[in-house]
Formats: sequence, C-alpha cells, structure tokens
Amino acid sequence: MSCAIWEERVALLAGGDLETGEAAGVERHLNQCAACTALAADLRRELDGLRQVHAEPLAAEHYAAVRGRVLAELAKPQRRSAVWVWSWAAALAVAAAGAWVVWVAMKPAAVPAPELPRLVAAAPTVERSRAQRAPRKGAVISTHVRRRRTERAASSVNEPRRLEVAEVVTPPLPMPAAVEDSPVRMVQLATDDPNVVIYWLFEEKGEER
Amino acid sequence: MKTLALAAAELGDEPEGRDATFEAARAGDRAAFDLLMRRHERLVLGTAYRLAGNLEDAQDASQEVFLRLYRNLAKLDAANLAAWLYRVTVNVCHDARRRRPSTVPVDDAPELTAAGDPQQSADQAEQRALLLRSLRMLSEKERAALVLRDLEGLSTAEVAGVLGSSMGTVRSQISKARLKMRDFVERYSRRRL
Repeated sequence: MSCAIWEERVALLAGGDLETGEAAGVERHLNQCAACTALAADLRRELDGLRQVHAEPLAAEHYAAVRGRVLAELAKPQRRSAVWVWSWAAALAVAAAGAWVVWVAMKPAAVPAPELPRLVAAAPTVERSRAQRAPRKGAVISTHVRRRRTERAASSVNEPRRLEVAEVVTPPLPMPAAVEDSPVRMVQLATDDPNVVIYWLFEEKGEER
Repeated sequence: MKTLALAAAELGDEPEGRDATFEAARAGDRAAFDLLMRRHERLVLGTAYRLAGNLEDAQDASQEVFLRLYRNLAKLDAANLAAWLYRVTVNVCHDARRRRPSTVPVDDAPELTAAGDPQQSADQAEQRALLLRSLRMLSEKERAALVLRDLEGLSTAEVAGVLGSSMGTVRSQISKARLKMRDFVERYSRRRL
C-alpha cells in the first residue's frame, strides 16, 4: 500500500491537528507502517526543535530599538498638520465654487434650431419654348421630400438608404427672368435631418411633360 | 494550546476591551502606547522574525506594524488586538518581501547568542540553523500558516481568521509546510552523510 495518501494526515497528526476519530485511524495505520511511523517521529522532532528555537527570547535591545524607532517617528512633526489640511480644503472649495460661477456665466444660452423651410425647391421649365403648347410662365416645381431611413434587416446590412418622396406640390412661384428659358431644373430634397439638404440639378431633354 | 484569547489575557488585554493602557494610548498618551508596544513586542517582532528570516527586516516590519497600530487605535478593540497584530504583521512582512524579494540573507539565529550557547553542541546549533532555513523553503502562505500554528500556537480556526482563509486551506497549508520542512531536513542530512 502506498503511504503517500497518509502523509498529509500524518503531518496533521504530528501537530495535533486531527479530530479524535481521524487521529485514531491514522494511529492504526502507524501501528502497521514503519515508514509512516518514522515520518511522524521526524515531524514531531522537527516541530519541537522549531518551537524551542522560537521560544528563545530575542535580545532586549532588539525590542528596544523597535520601540525607539516608533516613538521617534511619532515624535516627528506631522508634515500635514490639521491646519494645513483644512486650509487646503477651504482653498479647493473656493476654487471649485469660482469655477462653477464662471462656467454658469459663460455658458451660452440654448438657441433653438431654425425651422427648415419645407418648400424651397424651384426650377424653371422649358414648356414656354414649345410651340404646340400654351406657354406657361413661371412654371415652378416645388418638391418636398421627406427622407426616410429604411430599417436595415439583419440580412440586408449593406442595403443603401432610400429617399422617399412624401408629397409634391407645385405652387405658382414667380420665375426669375434670367432662368426662364433655362433647361436646367433644380429640386431641393429636404431630409429628416435638418442639417442635410440635397440639391438635385437636372436638365430635361426629349419628350415634354 | 494557546489561543488568541489566552494570548490577549497574557498580554493584559481584558476581554471586555476595557484595558486602561489601551484606552490611554487611544487618548494619545505616548507613555501608554509605549507600554502597549512592550506588551505586544514579542508577538510582533517574534512573528516578523520568523516570517522575514532576518532581524533587520523583522525590525522594519515591526516598526511599521506599531505605527499602523498607533494610527488605527481609535478603530480597534482591545479584545481583538492580538489577532489584528498578527494579521498586520503577516501583511507587512508579505509586502516587504514583494518589494525586496530574497535579496537579504537569512539569519541562522545569530541573535541567540545567549549564555547557554557555549554548552550547546555544534550538532544542535547546526540542527537549529537547518530548521530555520527550512522555513525559508516554504511559500509565503505556508510559512505564515506554520509560524502562526506551530510556533505562535494559534488554533487552526484562529490562523484561518488571521490569514483570511478557510480552515481546510489552512490545514492543507500546514500539512504541506511540515512535509516540505521534513523533506528539506532529510535531504540535507543525507547529503552530509
């Protein structure tokens, strides 16, 4: 039988760390095992020797030296006296209060964001130059476009954003003379984000409207 | 078996925590604090010496322990003072060892040059030095457990309380420490033969 499993218990027995029942079991093993008996004897002898060494008192001057050093340390003037600490605390409090006052005074008033005009697009039409139709002076196309962000499904992460035309109105705005005959049209696309406006310039060719 | 309660009684700490010396020291009386140090200096310096392995480090650690004691007197209870001192001594020695790992040679009990030494045989002196060196072979935790249990005589439960470990852990540390010490001594003795 291997005694390795008994070693820890023998070590505990040698120092008196086993309960009565457990100690009795180890003692029974010791009665049958010379190696563990020798181990127990060695452990007891070494523990006794160590206790004996530890019990011998140190020289008195070693204790006195420690006491002297501690008392000398306590006798030193405190580097941070209470007055000094309180002075710093008060100064810090005043500085913090001043900083707060300055911050409140300098804080810019909240300015409401300007309302973005909803109908802002105007583009000239070219109908007036066409013979078969009655000329329409100042034909104006105004477009209000609301952009909607499409929900991105997990499976279509790379799907591009889309703009959706919510309504199209054409109020009769006066056309500047210089651009009346221009074939270029401009549409302003207002988006949900007031900071994002898309201008769309295009030239109409081919079939008339 | 000496328990912490017995140690406190030996040191003059009354269980009720009404120790007049302690109260006076807490009130700022330096003479009372000096008396308090005298009461506990063997506990602190003796334990620190076994943990640190040399007198210089042990004295440094003891000084730090007593300074911490002075700073924490208002928060402490006289009845638990011995346990607190053991705990702080162990922690201070561990901290010091981490800051300055194994650079200081281990004393072979040079301080024990008492009058009895001339009669002491060379074998005994060597055996004592060997035992003290075997302590150095242990890990910090094993050494602390063994010093508190086997040298300072605390119970396993008290050692567990001081070290902040479970009793099972302490038992394991103690048994391993004893076996390691025995192996060290045996190897050394075999080599000499």
